[in-house]
Amino acid sequence: MISLRTDLPWSGDSASRFIPWLVAIMVFLGTLAVSGVAVFDTILSGWSKAVTGTVTVQIPALPADSEQEANQARTDRAVKALKDLPSVEGVRVLANTEIDALLAPWLGERAAASDLPLPDLIDVTLVDGSTATIEALRSAVTTVVHDAIIDDHRLWFEHLIDLTEGFRLLTIGVALIVTTALALTIVYATRASLAEFKEVISVLHLTGARDAYVATQFAKRTLSAAFKGSAGGLVAGAFALFAIGLLARNVESGFLPDIGLSLGFWVLPPLVSLFAATLATVTAFITVLSTLRSMV
Amino acid sequence: MQIFKPPETPDGTAAVELKNVSLRYDDGSDVLSALNLALPPGSFHFLTGPSGAGKTSLLKLLYLAQRPTMGSVHLFGTDVTAAARRSLPAIRRKLGVVFQDFRLLQHLSVFDNVALPLRVAAAPEPEIKSNVTELLSWVGLDNFMNAKPAVLSGGQKQRVAIARAVVNRPRLILADEPTGSVDDAIAMRLMQLFIELNKLGSNIIIATHNEQLVARFEYSRLALADSALTELPPLSYRSAAESDQAINEPQT
Repeated sequence: MISLRTDLPWSGDSASRFIPWLVAIMVFLGTLAVSGVAVFDTILSGWSKAVTGTVTVQIPALPADSEQEANQARTDRAVKALKDLPSVEGVRVLANTEIDALLAPWLGERAAASDLPLPDLIDVTLVDGSTATIEALRSAVTTVVHDAIIDDHRLWFEHLIDLTEGFRLLTIGVALIVTTALALTIVYATRASLAEFKEVISVLHLTGARDAYVATQFAKRTLSAAFKGSAGGLVAGAFALFAIGLLARNVESGFLPDIGLSLGFWVLPPLVSLFAATLATVTAFITVLSTLRSMV
Repeated sequence: MQIFKPPETPDGTAAVELKNVSLRYDDGSDVLSALNLALPPGSFHFLTGPSGAGKTSLLKLLYLAQRPTMGSVHLFGTDVTAAARRSLPAIRRKLGVVFQDFRLLQHLSVFDNVALPLRVAAAPEPEIKSNVTELLSWVGLDNFMNAKPAVLSGGQKQRVAIARAVVNRPRLILADEPTGSVDDAIAMRLMQLFIELNKLGSNIIIATHNEQLVARFEYSRLALADSALTELPPLSYRSAAESDQAINEPQT
């Protein structure tokens, strides 16, 4: 077991007093940043699973004065062409009631039954979602219905990926800044304490203490301070995440995949606090060694 | 300037040796100039001289708190002037220093102050406990083990400082006015401690300008004056019986 007995007068040391607070804030920020990336990854892969492999084909309605049968014939031609493709697993034409449901928030009940020229929607499930498959599908459908619109959800999904990548880079940037700030502050605080303990350290040296003996006392002290701080930061971060989780639950449930169970979400914050405590301790140890080396 | 011959030692190695040692302060004043000295293992000397003669500076050179401007200092056959920084702790662990201003750590108890040289050398705690307790009871401070230095009198602090200096049985004990703050009876008792350690083989150098104390013992003097060092014979000393009587006087 590590003895926390010390020969240095920490109770009178002002420089090391804020280390727990500092580490707590750093761990809190780090926890939020890292969890943010984990959540975005989870959301993205959830959407990705839901989106790739499906395509929506729109058959625009002919002008209002056209025959209802002409519209039906166009949809039938498209469905047949789709079913003939080997890469298509399933084809389903959305019923009028389903279109009603989709439009209800904007147009009120029974919009499809009105005279509005609504397109027919065909849900297509694909064997694979490759570009080649979608291009083949596009040409097959437009051959039979020249103005059909094929929506493979790719465009808006790519924007989302860009957004998530942006967030990831931002998080890495934040993590680097937080790490550097923590290390620099520990260096500063350690040097200030060394200056304050100059006389005591000189007596330790004269009684035969090695630099590592002094550095170990600093490391132990910093470890215990950083441990308190990182525990506090972790708890605060967990509360914040829990609150965000509650807010997210209120969002339209189909839009956000279930994020609560992802592994990274629960493993990363403790790793962040472990990392912060280790970083602080090692930084203090090295700072003491390098500073003492320049003393007599 | 007098250069005196190194005393003969059985293996030819002096415990303490100064070769042409000079010390000049940053302001250009010479404190010590071209000192030569060789003390055989087991020697006991008083270092005398007027205030400001450089007694403390000479001790600082010996306990490696200062490096000479010129010349070299050798301890137990090692040139400590040329020693690498990382080898200094091992050399310092062979030294016991009683600082004139004690340099006790104010935030530590008397026990922890005395335990310091053993702790930095990673001695096992049970050994530390028994050694420190025994020594503190020898210097009459067994009732102050948990006290902080701030509540001690000058004489008590001095005894703590001496206990800390000798607790690891150093090969060389350097004491700067170690009996300056205590009364006669305790001074004799502390001297007895140094004598016992000397009998066990430690070299002792005691800087003092207390001529009465010096006169009581049959030990040679190293006299420092005008930045030069001279070895002088013992001052007129009391008979052994008188010394014993002084040592055995009850404490007050």
